[in-house]
Amino acid sequence: MRHIIRRITDKAFTILTGTSVVLLTFVLLIVLGPMVWRGAKAVLFKDTVEFRKMQLDLYNRGNPESLKIETAESESFRKTVYEIVDDFKHGIDTEELIDRTKQIYRQLGKELRYKKITDKEYQRIRLLARDLRDRLQAAFESNDEKIIKENIDYVLQYRLDENLADTAAVEFFTLAEDFLKAAENIDLNKRQQYAGSLQQVEELINRLLGPKPSDAVPALTMDRYGATRWDLAQKLLDQLLWSEQWIKQETGQPLVKIRVSRAEEFAGTKLEPLFGYVENNLNKMLKPEFTVYWQYFIDDSTAGHYFGGVGPEILGTLLLTLLAMLFVFPLGVISAAYLVECASDNIAIRIIRMCINTLAGVPSIVFGLFGLAFFVLFFIPLFGGPSEPCILAASLTLAVLTLPVMIRASEEAIRSVPQAYKEASLGLGASRFRTFVKVTFPVALPGILTGVILSLSRVAGETAPILFTGAIALGPVPKSLFDPTRTLSYGSYDIAVGDRLAMMVPHNQYGMVVTLVLVILCLNAIAIILRARVFRKLRGH
Amino acid sequence: MDDIVRNDTKPAAGTGQSLVLTPLQDLGGFLFHHLGRLLLFLITCSSVLLVLLIFFFVIREAIPFLTKFSLTEFLTTKSWYPEAATPKFGALSLIVGSLYVTIAALVFAVPTGILAAIFLSDIVLLKIRDFIKPVIEILAAIPSVAYGFFAVLVLAPWMQNKWGFTTGTNALNASIILSIMALPTIISVAEDSISAVGRELREASYGLGATRFETIFKVIIPAAHSGIIAAIVLGMMRAIGETMVVWMASGNANQIPSPWWDLSQSVRTMTATIAGDMGETPKDSPHYWSLFAIGVVLLVMTFLLNIISEYFLASAKRKTGKS
Repeated sequence: MRHIIRRITDKAFTILTGTSVVLLTFVLLIVLGPMVWRGAKAVLFKDTVEFRKMQLDLYNRGNPESLKIETAESESFRKTVYEIVDDFKHGIDTEELIDRTKQIYRQLGKELRYKKITDKEYQRIRLLARDLRDRLQAAFESNDEKIIKENIDYVLQYRLDENLADTAAVEFFTLAEDFLKAAENIDLNKRQQYAGSLQQVEELINRLLGPKPSDAVPALTMDRYGATRWDLAQKLLDQLLWSEQWIKQETGQPLVKIRVSRAEEFAGTKLEPLFGYVENNLNKMLKPEFTVYWQYFIDDSTAGHYFGGVGPEILGTLLLTLLAMLFVFPLGVISAAYLVECASDNIAIRIIRMCINTLAGVPSIVFGLFGLAFFVLFFIPLFGGPSEPCILAASLTLAVLTLPVMIRASEEAIRSVPQAYKEASLGLGASRFRTFVKVTFPVALPGILTGVILSLSRVAGETAPILFTGAIALGPVPKSLFDPTRTLSYGSYDIAVGDRLAMMVPHNQYGMVVTLVLVILCLNAIAIILRARVFRKLRGH
Repeated sequence: MDDIVRNDTKPAAGTGQSLVLTPLQDLGGFLFHHLGRLLLFLITCSSVLLVLLIFFFVIREAIPFLTKFSLTEFLTTKSWYPEAATPKFGALSLIVGSLYVTIAALVFAVPTGILAAIFLSDIVLLKIRDFIKPVIEILAAIPSVAYGFFAVLVLAPWMQNKWGFTTGTNALNASIILSIMALPTIISVAEDSISAVGRELREASYGLGATRFETIFKVIIPAAHSGIIAAIVLGMMRAIGETMVVWMASGNANQIPSPWWDLSQSVRTMTATIAGDMGETPKDSPHYWSLFAIGVVLLVMTFLLNIISEYFLASAKRKTGKS
């Protein structure tokens, strides 16, 4: 019996330890899986004609001729959409109509001033026009069919008035006729409700297809184009076809969200066919095509990373890491060489080793504080540099941070050079310095490079040390070492938490962080392969 | 010139040039050797210099704070209103917040890490081990900001929408991610120390008829306990000094959770406070100095943990060296 319990405990324990490793693998998949999947959409996706327009405008990419043909084709399908909306709007959007009557009235006033008429006539026409304007406005604002009819009829009886012929006031009558027609088609009581929903529809169409060709070019780049991606277009289409409403089902219960078809909401109006039309013709209006947007890795981005890529971020990360390596490589290798070749186990060496360990344990944010207090505020100004966060300060901070990694890796590499090599060299009469430079160092170099790559990958991902020493979220590409720079790591933070605009473009959010992770994993993969080769070589195979 | 003469015209070794060094050459070699050594020593001392510089400069910026405000108030009160008209600098809830997420992270990470270390060192075949090692290496290589990104944009919405938390960014979120980040450190150090327990002990135990479970729990873990403690301390260092993850995932609410076991509340840590506030503080203001004072607290904490971990690592080395 006891024996069985012992065996069961043993098996259970084995399974438990195995589970922990399975859990680790699972965690890795959970962390990387969704990020990589969503991040890949920044590069691989179905683009639309709007995307190609944007590429041509911002980066001068693509063929203008064929794009022009494509645009013309898609515009021919879009025209119907605008027509339907405009047609429907006449009866609904009274604010616009009222504004128009005011404009007409003002224009009429201007026209009359240059006409050769008596004061009396002038007064009469002015008064009449004001009367017509007010009547029209009353008609537009009313929900009562009777009042509308009355007012419109009143306006229309002056249609043939000679005084008004050939003036701006003629448009009053077209407005009145259009409105009468529109008012017959719609339920006037629902006008208020329509107006709100119509605004949403217009906004969605604007985001889907971009601003109307007749409108002025918007100031913000992000407003200049419709849906640049097919997945985004489909999300917008869904919002266009279905509106979400919160309704109360039972008192005391939370509100329930339901989806209402907009086609039903606008049933019987002129807008109803719009939804079917957009749904069926979205393909033709946007012309989706599968694309590999590899320029994501070199493009600059527009405000909030709405369009474009991570080029400046990659450049900044490379600059920082390579500069840091430049500083730390000689220091690390020499320290390691001394520790392996010259040092005996005395108190000085023990202190040095302890300091290296301490340095390795200092929290990264404290390195940031140190970089700010020392490099930014003290060291660089000491040599006449600006006392501002800059690339130089950030890379020096990163160099300090990675020094222990570098020393340990080089130490290991130098230590792993077989003693026989050194003894052979020393036996031939070479000095110890010469032995190190000519024999030990070349043999250890691949191992040291492995360390270099590993510290590169560590440095590339560090964010906290460069927060106050040289990283910015938005800004120009740096021109000198005394400018701050954007980096992938800080950019990933900012795009996840700091930037509201970025929430609208999840593919760019994930794209940034996946780029960072990929850079680091590639560096690690190189290091692992290199290490395996060195290992084999030193074993003598 | 000498070289050519030696190599071409007089092949016999030592005929052209004496192998015995002249006094001058001797002196030169002596000087080169010792001066070079000294130079290398000085360069190597740069690590010492850097550590001193870090302590000096971080403490220097914190000193004005310590002279103007009371240290006891800083360490024992909970109200942290650095920008108020009469600013209050009570960092207790920040220190507690840091320890809180760290310890919660260790609760997840230590059992998993030690089990995984045992699995790798004692249970699994070498071939499978070669597949698992990269998983741990990748987990260690993923930068902290990417973990923070995951915490904010993937884990937090899950927690809020699917698991019914009131807020997705809370102590639980931060400590889960911190435990993932501490795991590679814990596993690799613990595995090293468990592997370092020699074959002899294992074989002796198996030879007496013990099962694997008994061998591991009664022989190997007691023998490797120093190394395992060192692994835990190193994992703790990693977690307490972590900035980006806690800044992004912990919710940054300046409070001590009550009841104390309620992980679903937001907390704020020392590192996150430094990272979040430094960008908005003018230089040489009380707020600025106070952030450096927090930095000093962090520095001292990690320094102490470092000494502890070194003590245990050294004792582990001594033990396995003897056996």
